[in-house]
Amino acid sequence: MNNSKAIQIQDLHKNFGDVYAVRGVSFDVRAGEIFSLLGPNGAGKSTIISMLACLLAPTQGDALVMGHSILRQPMAVKAAIGVIPQEIALYEDLSARENLNFWGKMYGLRGAALRQRVDEVLGVIGLTERQKGRVGKFSGGMKRRLNIGIALLHKPQVIIMDEPTVGIDPQTRRNILDNVKELNQQGMTVLYTTHYMEEAQELSDHIAIMDQGKVIAHGTHDELVKIVGELDRIDLTINAESERVLERWQATEGIHQVSAENGALTLLVDDSNVVLPRLFESATETGVRITSVEIQEPNLEAVFLHLTGRALRD
Amino acid sequence: MKVLDIALKDMLRSFRSGFALVMMFVAPLLITGIIYAAFGGMGGDGGFDLPLTRVQVVNLDQPGPQYSFAFGQMLVGFLQDEGLANLLQVTEATDETDARVAVDNQDAGVAIIIPPDFTTAALAPDGRASITLYQDPTLTLGPGIVKGVVSQFVDGFAGTKIASGVVADQLGQRGVAIDASLMQGIAMQYGAWAEGLGQGWDEGAHPLLEIQLPPTKAEPVSQETSIFGAIMAGMVIFFAFFTGASTAETIILEDEAGTLARLFTTPTPRAVILGGKFAASFMTLIVQVVVLMLASAIIFRIHWGEPLAVSLVALGLVVAAAGLGVFIMSFLKSTRQAGPVMGTVLTLSGMVGGLFTTGIPNLPATYGTINLLTPHGWVLRGWKLVLAGGGVSDVLLPALITLGMGIVFFVIGAFIFRKRFA
Repeated sequence: MNNSKAIQIQDLHKNFGDVYAVRGVSFDVRAGEIFSLLGPNGAGKSTIISMLACLLAPTQGDALVMGHSILRQPMAVKAAIGVIPQEIALYEDLSARENLNFWGKMYGLRGAALRQRVDEVLGVIGLTERQKGRVGKFSGGMKRRLNIGIALLHKPQVIIMDEPTVGIDPQTRRNILDNVKELNQQGMTVLYTTHYMEEAQELSDHIAIMDQGKVIAHGTHDELVKIVGELDRIDLTINAESERVLERWQATEGIHQVSAENGALTLLVDDSNVVLPRLFESATETGVRITSVEIQEPNLEAVFLHLTGRALRD
Repeated sequence: MKVLDIALKDMLRSFRSGFALVMMFVAPLLITGIIYAAFGGMGGDGGFDLPLTRVQVVNLDQPGPQYSFAFGQMLVGFLQDEGLANLLQVTEATDETDARVAVDNQDAGVAIIIPPDFTTAALAPDGRASITLYQDPTLTLGPGIVKGVVSQFVDGFAGTKIASGVVADQLGQRGVAIDASLMQGIAMQYGAWAEGLGQGWDEGAHPLLEIQLPPTKAEPVSQETSIFGAIMAGMVIFFAFFTGASTAETIILEDEAGTLARLFTTPTPRAVILGGKFAASFMTLIVQVVVLMLASAIIFRIHWGEPLAVSLVALGLVVAAAGLGVFIMSFLKSTRQAGPVMGTVLTLSGMVGGLFTTGIPNLPATYGTINLLTPHGWVLRGWKLVLAGGGVSDVLLPALITLGMGIVFFVIGAFIFRKRFA
């Protein structure tokens, strides 16, 4: 990682009619780092990715990718980036090699250089043995690997990954996270979007937390966690409607924030040792039974809750 | 170069699809082949190989001793003539009941029963006799041929009878006595004249009839070309329009699959990407039309016509099919919409364009005008002209109109697609 900027986003806006998807977002991604955009669905992460990939034109603002403007130099931007879409985007009736050959040509590779690069990528994604197999007959994990491989063909300086782990099994997810780290170790800058706090925490050098089209916090993991200071986070479940205790707990001394969803409550508190007895006491008084309790150190989830009043899962 | 890469990728995908191959090549050849087989194929001499109609003739004709010939026997000989051997398989039966049973048992298609007084009735001025045709009700074509042949023969005797009557009247008015031998002589002379006329007719000449064709440099076309050429042309046109729409549908398909958006993230201009998709449509159609024409020329012995004129018409078809395909698909949002819309629009326009009635002669002129409301109708008109031996000058108008229609459809469709993916 160095201090030069791979991506510079400057007051980026995007609206679709009356719907404001991105509202004045600015941040920089340093060359060689893994940068995560963390936020719930609808936060505007994918819209930013689409604008950086020159799929959508911003309503206002601009972004520079390796010094190239997404507005004025889209072809240079596209040549510099490799986009790994959220959904698998492959030709299932072509073989793995035919897919890589075709996409390589779309990135301007030809002849011997293309053949060599396809061979290399097949090795990287572990599909050399299955290169002639029809993609339609591949397992989900193999397709995911090929989906990533295509974005690597032209040795991009920046890899953009849009929620690559949504809806996949834990093993494939693990592989993808390892791939991201490997790519980064090879010198590629990675812009990674996710709504899984633990992925952002594990991978990222820097994280921007997004909500409702805005970046609400930005920094390293440690910097972000400091926002919530020394607060503890308590996750608990109850056997009744949360409304029965919500108001009472919000007014309880030592509790900063409470969010509830489907019987699961998340609280930010000063000291869990002090607050927990009070929670049990008021639950007993209202006839509610606490069925599980989990105390966690401050994390990104707590940061999001602290900043928005909602859990990241909402 | 990238345009070609995209087009070749799409073509490869199309030709790997079993469904696409069936729709592009198998279905048009199969449908024409079924019609071809229904007509029993074509003989090497250019005529239909119609199945032989088995005929049993019961000749009960017993002319009196005053007659030196028997019309019944002449009819049997006429039916057994070599010229009819490829149509009729004639055997003689002695018993009327046996002949009818043979038809009932489908051992014969038709029984011809010549009555005992056939010759006598034919020559007597007021004589009447009927030949009975007893036919298998499940057959249509064979009994029709037999009826035509027998009618031709009987008409000849009707002429003989009229001639004999006129001569007898005129001689009677002049007081000349008429005997049976005179009447026979008249009948024989008339018969000889009629036979000569018939032979001349068979050879295409008639003393009172001159057949003229429009002036053209074209070679006369064979029956395969005139009949199956039109049917095959209808099939080629119909399925080519399907291919045009199907290949254009891949734009929507790729949009849904996410590969189109991914293509847009590569350093490839959008115009090149859409151009590649459109080029795939043109190239696939060219392959389809050429393969179908070559295959049908070999299988059905269709002579498509003058190469330059054929190329012009084929180009019109390719452009019109690709253009209409892009036009239709540009209005659709999903492949779920595409299937039913494509099927309905192309089938209806094919019907209106006259693609399913190419083998039916003498359709009303209004219908021909309605055909020309669609690009299909104009392509078909061009194709019929080349099949009839027309040259470039003959097909220029329909070819230019189909090209024009195709280009207009294409420009509108491409504009809508570009706007959608801008």
